[in-house]
Amino acid sequence: MAEDTLFAEVLDQANRSDPYPIYARLRANPVSRQRDGSFVVSTHAAIRSLIFDPRLSSEDLPPSHRPRTGNPLKDWLLNPIKDRIATAHRPLIFRDPPDHDTLRGFVMREFSVPRVRALHEPVGREVDRLIDACLGRDQVCLVEDLSYPLPVAVICDLLGVPETDEPQFQAWATQLATALEPDARHDEASRHKTVAAFDAISAYMRNLIRQKRRNPGADMISGLAASGPQGKPVMSDFDLISTAILLLVAGHETTVNLITNGMLTLLRHPEELERLRADPERAPRVIEEVLRYEPPVHFRTRKALGTITVAGQTIPKGAPVILLFASGNRDPARFADPDRFDPDREDNQHFGFGGGLHYCVGAPLARIEAEIALVALCRRLVRPRLMADPPPYRTGASLRGPERLGIHIDGIV
Amino acid sequence: MDLPSDRDPTASLRVVVDLNRCQGYAQCCYAAPGSFALRGHEILFYDPAPPAAHRGEIERAVQACPVRAISLQAVTADRVDTQ
Repeated sequence: MAEDTLFAEVLDQANRSDPYPIYARLRANPVSRQRDGSFVVSTHAAIRSLIFDPRLSSEDLPPSHRPRTGNPLKDWLLNPIKDRIATAHRPLIFRDPPDHDTLRGFVMREFSVPRVRALHEPVGREVDRLIDACLGRDQVCLVEDLSYPLPVAVICDLLGVPETDEPQFQAWATQLATALEPDARHDEASRHKTVAAFDAISAYMRNLIRQKRRNPGADMISGLAASGPQGKPVMSDFDLISTAILLLVAGHETTVNLITNGMLTLLRHPEELERLRADPERAPRVIEEVLRYEPPVHFRTRKALGTITVAGQTIPKGAPVILLFASGNRDPARFADPDRFDPDREDNQHFGFGGGLHYCVGAPLARIEAEIALVALCRRLVRPRLMADPPPYRTGASLRGPERLGIHIDGIV
Repeated sequence: MDLPSDRDPTASLRVVVDLNRCQGYAQCCYAAPGSFALRGHEILFYDPAPPAAHRGEIERAVQACPVRAISLQAVTADRVDTQ
């Protein structure tokens, strides 16, 4: 099979604002072998056939565990975060069944329908408070004014992390999220920072969990840390810490992109912004189409546990497999006119929250936050216009979204 | 949640779930808890004739289903309109 280097172009920051033409070229070969030995899966049908395939593992990520110094302890410390996680603190996003299912069960029990439904009101209040804070200005910086602080406030409240502690782990969360980017592990300095962030946030969580065990609240960490039937903790401390970190980082680094990408897309399609303003009932359709058209997470990496043949190509055992969800979302074989933003499209079976066993745990929460935020922005911002198009992007190719989104306004109602 | 046995006799909606497509993602249970519930981890219970007041929630459930397994129809005296 021919090798190609298109995925390197996807990772190139120069292409961050519009990777979709590269995805279209990738789809010419639904499963394409890259020069580094990884396989990129880019069509909707091929991704769909693999997301439930038990031969694809989330446990071990690309080949990166190489001795560096000859000193085992030092090697361990220098290893990329994913390898370090594999030895001790793997969260469920990096686990396979049956452990994954057990951990996910604990999380889902805490992510109960009543708890999530009860968030409508506080999310609405927080959105209004954040928009009120921009009163009197002729521009808003969407990421720092709303898209970032909203999900952070929500996840801290859900988990039971005191808001006053929040500023200290903004930098940790951003650094840890780089563990999902394939090129981050090549950079020694970045790995050191990731390990340091991981250690700092672990120490914080260990302490918080100890407090919650002594003094439980109504929050998710207290629920996860609660004792089982015979006074026995149901989750190990390692699992509890890694789960809490995962939820906290996910709450910091993903919904921000959904809200920002959503508003960016609406500003690029002013007729759709007007329609949403006039009819907030359209919001669920708008959100689902944003999840297809500009998803917050573009790809996830797995590893082949056996030889897998898909779309006529053979993936050898051990190869890293990149499921390029954002490309499947633009596949003309699945979606008519895929590069058109069309909230009215029917049968919008997108991969905006991934799929299969690892489908985003926080999806219902993200939908609520994005819906309330976008409806309020459309309703309250008077004559919003993009200040720069394209906006500057953050460095992530997987967790992809604007770094800033400046919007000129004529006022706030 | 009320199940079909005690459903509203004046219901004007009809919900159909393609259970061959359903993968138990549970997104409908969050979107419309009055009409959908998962029992155990994977058995979906739903109200096939929910009251008209649930319409907004059920439309959210239709949109949120990752495999588009849910369809909603409005029932009038002499015909069924597929949404």
